[in-house]
Amino acid sequence: QVSVLYFARSAELAGLRCETLSVPREITSLQLWEEIVKAHPRLAVIRDQVIFAVRQEYVLLGDQLLVLQPGDEVAIIPPISGG
Amino acid sequence: MDESEDVPKDFIKLKSEKLSVDEVSELVVSPYCGAVSLFIGTTRNNFEGKKVVHLEYEAYTSMAETEIKKICRDVRQKWPSVKHIAVHHRLGVVPITEASVIIAVSSPHRAESLEAVMYCINTLKASVPIWKKEIYEDEYAWKENKECFWAKSEK
Repeated sequence: QVSVLYFARSAELAGLRCETLSVPREITSLQLWEEIVKAHPRLAVIRDQVIFAVRQEYVLLGDQLLVLQPGDEVAIIPPISGG
Repeated sequence: MDESEDVPKDFIKLKSEKLSVDEVSELVVSPYCGAVSLFIGTTRNNFEGKKVVHLEYEAYTSMAETEIKKICRDVRQKWPSVKHIAVHHRLGVVPITEASVIIAVSSPHRAESLEAVMYCINTLKASVPIWKKEIYEDEYAWKENKECFWAKSEK
């Protein structure tokens, strides 16, 4: 069970900012995205523009294998615009 | 003058209250430094012909602070003479002409602090998880920094 955090456009599309999700302990970043889109289909439109932050490290959507621990934070990161 | 003046410090703050240039520059002033360089990011009132009513910022706060700390660490590696660094970023609603971000760096001589300030703002825009929404009169838009490597610039 991981905590998924939604920000900016992804929070608007998902309709929430935070939830827990049950996912396999080992999963690729793309598979993780697909699990999240199953729960929130409206997120599909931003697939090409987002990356993840897993335990506060950026991860691209792709084949990278993630090893997740219970309580890990996974954040959906749309294109940033700080400063 | 006590010895804690000698220790270089990073001052990082994300807050919803109005930012203060005086406060941020006073944080980095040091009797060992002849230069304090400052960058202030302010809110423009227009974008592509549309009138901007105000900006709204949100952040992944814990990670944003960690990323800003990484920027400070990089600054100290590249410019070892830099003394203090302060980065204050506003969150929530920011009215036109008010500051969204203030960065101040002190160093014994001016070249390092000037270069370090530029590096801080450029790297912040590329790596810190903060998002800006521009509110126009009848619509809004989430902005995307061109420095962000995962943004698609097809607009």
